Amino acid sequence: MAEAPGGALGGPAPEPTDATADTARGPGRVLVAIYGVFALAAGARAAVQLAVQFDEAPVAYLLSALAAVVYVVATIGLARGGRSGRRTALIACSVELAGVLVVGTLSLVDRAAFPDATVWSGYGQGYGFIPLALPVLGLLWLRHQSEVADQAPGQDDGPATS
Amino acid sequence: MSTPLVAAATVVAVVLIVLGVLSTVLRRRTGIAHLAAAGLLELLLVAQGVVAVVGIAGGHRPVELATFVAYLGSVVLLPVAGVLWARSEPTRWAGTVLAVAAFAVAVMLWRLLDLWEVTRG
Repeated sequence: MAEAPGGALGGPAPEPTDATADTARGPGRVLVAIYGVFALAAGARAAVQLAVQFDEAPVAYLLSALAAVVYVVATIGLARGGRSGRRTALIACSVELAGVLVVGTLSLVDRAAFPDATVWSGYGQGYGFIPLALPVLGLLWLRHQSEVADQAPGQDDGPATS
Repeated sequence: MSTPLVAAATVVAVVLIVLGVLSTVLRRRTGIAHLAAAGLLELLLVAQGVVAVVGIAGGHRPVELATFVAYLGSVVLLPVAGVLWARSEPTRWAGTVLAVAAFAVAVMLWRLLDLWEVTRG
């Protein structure tokens, strides 16, 4: 078998030029992947909770559903990019950060209200604290992307078409 | 669910995580090695899915059947989604995308195994 240039690990990657803003390129693509996984997992879990066992803990399950919606919206916003995508993602990440802090605190103070853990219980303890780190990384990335976009006006009219 | 299949899939997922992180660290795109590992992982997951569906059809009933089925469907889709999302990324971060997908697969598989073993019987 002919060896591809650079071997089985793939050819050398070009360095990102960073001239145009795109929330779904480079490290942003990893962020979108993590958000996508959480949207999928939280969405599947919330759908089951609401459909099958809603009466057991309505508050916790509604929060699970809210978390799932926030993850879906953030994933879409980051993946689409552009001015509107960044604004959507900014709102979603802010709600997410507020949610994980509020629910995390409440779940420690009042355990009785959260008999069944949500994604955000204990500041995302059950998920390796990723739910706490994710909105912070998301907001930092969005701030960086906004700065890039401000330096390159005219290339930021909407979602990437690639 | 078959524990040997879960173990085998976990090993392949770990290989994919290592390959993905490696290509990011070495500033490379993803290559044939990543595709092969992801393909093998997907094969094992589909086999695992068939085993689980046959088990459910044969009367095995996890307590949280709905959650189990939802996670099973998600886990089979993950490597495909990961490869698609990584292939359209020209920078070195494509490998990390695959590593994230593989890590999620490994975690969800063991969660699935837990759900499978809790039955009413």
